[in-house]
Amino acid sequence: MSVFRQRQFDQAARAYSADLYRYAYWLARDRFVAEELVQETFARAWKNWDSLEDLAAVKPWLIAILRNEHARLYERKHLDYTDDDPQDLDLPSATQAGAHLELEQLVEALPETYREPLVLQVLGGYECREIAGMLGTTEGAVMTRLTRARQALRAHLSDPAKARVAK
Amino acid sequence: MNCLEFRREKLADPRRLSPGALAHMGECAACRGFAAEINENEALLAATLDVPVPEGLAERIVLRRKAGTRFSPRLWAMAATVVLTFAFGFQQWKDVSSQDYARLAIEHVMHEPESFTTTRLADPQLFRTVMHNFGGEMQASLGKVRFMKLCPVPEGTGWHIVFETEQGDLATLILIPTKRMKAQSEQATVGGWTALARPGGQGYYAVITQSPETLGKVDELVRQRVRWRG
Repeated sequence: MSVFRQRQFDQAARAYSADLYRYAYWLARDRFVAEELVQETFARAWKNWDSLEDLAAVKPWLIAILRNEHARLYERKHLDYTDDDPQDLDLPSATQAGAHLELEQLVEALPETYREPLVLQVLGGYECREIAGMLGTTEGAVMTRLTRARQALRAHLSDPAKARVAK
Repeated sequence: MNCLEFRREKLADPRRLSPGALAHMGECAACRGFAAEINENEALLAATLDVPVPEGLAERIVLRRKAGTRFSPRLWAMAATVVLTFAFGFQQWKDVSSQDYARLAIEHVMHEPESFTTTRLADPQLFRTVMHNFGGEMQASLGKVRFMKLCPVPEGTGWHIVFETEQGDLATLILIPTKRMKAQSEQATVGGWTALARPGGQGYYAVITQSPETLGKVDELVRQRVRWRG
């Protein structure tokens, strides 16, 4: 591999490893697994670096690799898509442990199909169309999931006591 | 555009509104208020998702590239461990035997070492409220709270709290809302950590420290300064 390609790779690692780590963390919800996922993602990316034609598309490409690694890790080729109504999401209730709810716990409790586009949009700044491309679904489906994720969070943040928790 | 369409658009992508949505917001005070609320939630959400990144991550990736790109089985082993820890740990916690309350508390602390290096929800009033909701009335401060986090446990969520006593000792307090312990207390020592679990509040609590001497002092402190209801 040429020195030029090596420099390109190193720049990509420095530019995107932090964003990928955060994305991996919210997928795996474990910091050690998240770091290993990022390491494996870049290892695979380096193996295939010559196949990367458009350097501008490197970040979505890395996200796609990481997503595949995560799916392979848990032998889940397909996500269990849910389009539950937000009121039916099994989010932690304010009465559990008599606790103050934390946004972190609410995000963790979101189904993966809601959490993943939310993380991509809030952290990555991606549009619904771009997220749909990464997740292999339609823009409409992404919009629905993002809307429902935010409705669910909003319901708990504004009045956790009234938010319905269905088991 | 009507209010319903505006709200759908705002919820789907709060930072990118179409010209039609922007025009509607200019005319509709209710939707301006809605947008302000969503923007506020979005800022909170962004701060929450922005978890700390391990120091030197990028350099480790570059080093690995320089060292050669062999595929490591570490990830698979680690994932298997995490899955097993959750599955086994949850089952263990659910079917806990008389010796396991303290040991499981230590294992939880060992799995979250960042609790000692991160400052999180370090709010004395919140600590007091959490204790109150769990069933403990604090008669006096236990020390300076440094870290609080809700953690998943089989019967809901439990609190993981790290605080520093007035003597400078660092201690972890775990509050588990589950069935009450039958024993008055249980102690365990694992991997350099020592823990004492006692019934209290909505279930039981465990104090975890790095030495039996500190454990004794912190246990005494908790017993003196917290009155458990029920």
